[in-house]
Amino acid sequence: MNWREWQRQQEVVELGQRFVSYVDWGRGSPVVLLHGMPTWGYLWSGLARGLATSHRVLVPDLLGHGFSDRRDRFDRSLSRQAEALEAWLDRLGVVDAAVVGHDVGGGVAQQLAVRFPRRVGRLCLMDSVSYDAWPLPLMAQFGTPWMARRLSPERMVGLLSWALKSRGFAKKPSSELVEGLLAPYATEVGMVSLSRDAVALNTNQTQVVSPKLGHLAVPVLVMWGAKDQVLPTKYGERLVWDIPGARWMPVPEAGHFLMWDAPHVVAMELFRFLEGEAPVTRAPERPVAEVLWSEGAPG
Amino acid sequence: MARVKQVSEHRAEGDVERVYHELRQTLRVSGVDVSLRTWAAHPRFFVAMWEALGPNVETRAFEELAAGLWQEVLDTTVRWEVLGAWSAVELGPSQRFHARGALELYEAMQPRVMLMLSAVRLALEGHVVGRRGVPGELERLERGIPSRMAAMEWVAPKPRDATTRTLFADIEKTVGPPGVPGEYRALACWPEYLEAAWRRLKPRMKDDDFRAAAESLRESARRRALALPFEVALSRERVAALGENVEAILKVTQALETRLPSLLLNLSRLVQDVPDILRQPMPGAARLVPDWVAAEELR
Repeated sequence: MNWREWQRQQEVVELGQRFVSYVDWGRGSPVVLLHGMPTWGYLWSGLARGLATSHRVLVPDLLGHGFSDRRDRFDRSLSRQAEALEAWLDRLGVVDAAVVGHDVGGGVAQQLAVRFPRRVGRLCLMDSVSYDAWPLPLMAQFGTPWMARRLSPERMVGLLSWALKSRGFAKKPSSELVEGLLAPYATEVGMVSLSRDAVALNTNQTQVVSPKLGHLAVPVLVMWGAKDQVLPTKYGERLVWDIPGARWMPVPEAGHFLMWDAPHVVAMELFRFLEGEAPVTRAPERPVAEVLWSEGAPG
Repeated sequence: MARVKQVSEHRAEGDVERVYHELRQTLRVSGVDVSLRTWAAHPRFFVAMWEALGPNVETRAFEELAAGLWQEVLDTTVRWEVLGAWSAVELGPSQRFHARGALELYEAMQPRVMLMLSAVRLALEGHVVGRRGVPGELERLERGIPSRMAAMEWVAPKPRDATTRTLFADIEKTVGPPGVPGEYRALACWPEYLEAAWRRLKPRMKDDDFRAAAESLRESARRRALALPFEVALSRERVAALGENVEAILKVTQALETRLPSLLLNLSRLVQDVPDILRQPMPGAARLVPDWVAAEELR
């Protein structure tokens, strides 16, 4: 499916003075798929159709991203994104859902799970921003005024395209996919909006929820591309250690965009998780740094 | 006419950036269109233009003149055949939401820009434009962009997609210089729709009654410009004294003013083709304020 077809499937709901574009497919228990940055709901186009055969699949564009509201009129922090999603779920009549978050979407998912626990029945974090692992220097750079001034939309998309191709995937992605992921940012409005999104990136927004992750009382799956060059696996391992009962699923042949590098593995594990099957993998060895930190480093 | 440079919003600096901000606030639109961006390539003229026109543009009288002009356009085209482009293409709900927003934006903006173009052209040709009112005596409009107005989003003037590139070349050739009009670059976000619309709009533009209607609108806009409440203090001598190229500015202003009536007629047909569009999208709140308040609060 190309990005225009995906956008054609999107619906729009207005929340006060903002609006959210989203895809709503299938029937069954709801699953919310949250994208990261610089992507949009189209990130899930490979996975969503299959999931929709057994679930109601809801794929929003985060505020400021994709084809949701991108005007300069709202806070784009993770906490505000979570509040907007909570209001959006309310409007759709969804009481609780399984929430899957990738990259920045994983940070929003953490906020949602901690702040609105009744909304989140299951939580899956995929190569998620967490702790102090972010913002990535390149993405943070897009928030600097000099960058926004010097780049044209074409050059910015060219730079992001290079970054995605060289760092995001373990396998060579199709040009159509990369073009689709970046399509909403290929205009001046898109570029300025991305700059506003970048300004909102702040490590405090995950740090503030990290200590609370241990209190989550829902099934949690942490899935990670083992070859992720963007967010190293050690952060996924740490999440598993911090969230009681969390299941760890490294995906060996995948990079940051694991749902495209290993779609069948990701789909199968996600199906199992959503259906409540027992874990098939063990928790990782506890990271050395974590042991030292929690038990007190000598000297 | 050689391709004329435009100053994009994110590249505007100094006084041009300030005037862009003033324009957005006073016209109450979410972006600065092609005509104004083209003028901004002559920055000293651009600032002088805004100093001369701004006191007019912020009044209720200006809005009523523009609304009257737009009503004239609607009355003319409502008798013409239905365009049929909106129903002819397969657009999804999100695409229709955004395309409708783009049309509402241009409907709110272009009649006002037409009045500005007419006023400047007449002033540069030596006419006395505007009455001798005293600024501060008339009802001013509340500044600010209405909350539901869409972002002004454009496809690049030379898009990578060959079909749209060809379409843009045809549009520019048909409507005249300088550059592809903003509404067509906006509608190119949905290329199938733009293609369907242009295929229907173009043949009508050759008809005698279309040309007569465009000429009538041009004259009407000039009459209305002459009736602006405050004198537009702009002349060739003033522009020359500022060190700008008067001939180049006059030439581009004439080109813009020549083509805008045709664009308004087409825009009206596009708007009337959409069943649920808001016909009165942006009524501006008004208040009567003395000059000293305006000096601090509105400027």
